[in-house]
Amino acid sequence: MKTQAKRTNKVVAVATGALASSFAFPALAFANEEEASGGISAILPDMLEFVPMLIAFIILWIVLAKFGWPMFNAMLEKRENTIRDALKKSEEAKIESERVLAEYKKQLDDAKAQATQIVADARETGEAVKADIQQKAQAEAADMIEKAKATIEAEKKAAIAELQASIADTSVDVAAKLIGNDLTEGEHRSIIEKYVKEAGSFNGN
Amino acid sequence: MATNRLVQKGKVQVYSQTLFDAANDAGSQDSVVEVRNQLAQLLKLVYSDMDLTIALSNPDYTPEQRHGLARAVFADCNPALREVLAVMAENGDADLLSRVYHTYEDVVAEKLNLYVVDVTTVVPLDDELRKLIKEKTEADLGCKAVLNESIDKTILGGIIMSVNGMRIDASVISQLNKARHTLKENDGGEN
Repeated sequence: MKTQAKRTNKVVAVATGALASSFAFPALAFANEEEASGGISAILPDMLEFVPMLIAFIILWIVLAKFGWPMFNAMLEKRENTIRDALKKSEEAKIESERVLAEYKKQLDDAKAQATQIVADARETGEAVKADIQQKAQAEAADMIEKAKATIEAEKKAAIAELQASIADTSVDVAAKLIGNDLTEGEHRSIIEKYVKEAGSFNGN
Repeated sequence: MATNRLVQKGKVQVYSQTLFDAANDAGSQDSVVEVRNQLAQLLKLVYSDMDLTIALSNPDYTPEQRHGLARAVFADCNPALREVLAVMAENGDADLLSRVYHTYEDVVAEKLNLYVVDVTTVVPLDDELRKLIKEKTEADLGCKAVLNESIDKTILGGIIMSVNGMRIDASVISQLNKARHTLKENDGGEN
């Protein structure tokens, strides 16, 4: 970087010198302007002016071509490279952003699909649970009704049995009292005789 | 155990045979029937009085004490029965009384071709009923029958006859209980 700066300074010094010489002798350049103002000489350069100007120009050109142009070219190339890199990076960033965008879109689509699937699954699960609950409720209701019917039937039978037992006990007790109190000895003997005749055999025949 | 059962069976046979021989020698058939009837009553007494049952077999008492106890308790019984019971108590065999009773019935039936029929009624039997019952039992059993009559108002009416472990229950209370059971079991024809 220092070497390049020195070169730049030299170029600037030479160019400055050349320009200074051209400005140092303006009288020479325009000395015979009035003399040559007539004829073809009016359009032809004065050699005395032209040659130093040409030499200064050539020196300037050489100096610039030797030192200035490479620097300028390098600067342009650097700038170009910078711009190219920037464009490249920009392109890459664009591609990356597009890729990321596409990825985001894909993820978004996936998320949407997943959400839709989740909702569908939840709805399906909800429907299944609802159906299951309804089925269980119906089964429980049917079971409760069946048990209630069975209980009612059992209680009804128990009540009837209890009533029958009560009636039987009462009837038998009344019959027993009637027989015990109202029958005479003769009637008892008649019953004994009847039972003996109708009774089975000791041999079981 | 088998030997023990055989010993017990032998003892029961000896007591029964001795009792029959003593009763038969003493007063023939009436005495035999009397012994049988008293034996049946004693059996009921022994079943209903656990203290007596335990006392007659209590090993804490000496054989002489158990002998004396049996003679005192059964003093009003037929002498043959009283002596046999005293010997059973002395030997600690009072718990064989039930088996002796049944074996005695078998011995009586075998030796005298006679069965004692226990007849339970509400009113006393008249001769006509006795004849009817006797003829029926003799026809059923194929041997002579002697009636052992007893009155029990709780049967309400009818008759209960039992002999040698067989029983005919034609009592009114039994009929009523059957009717009661039938009425309770009947569900009114709903099923």
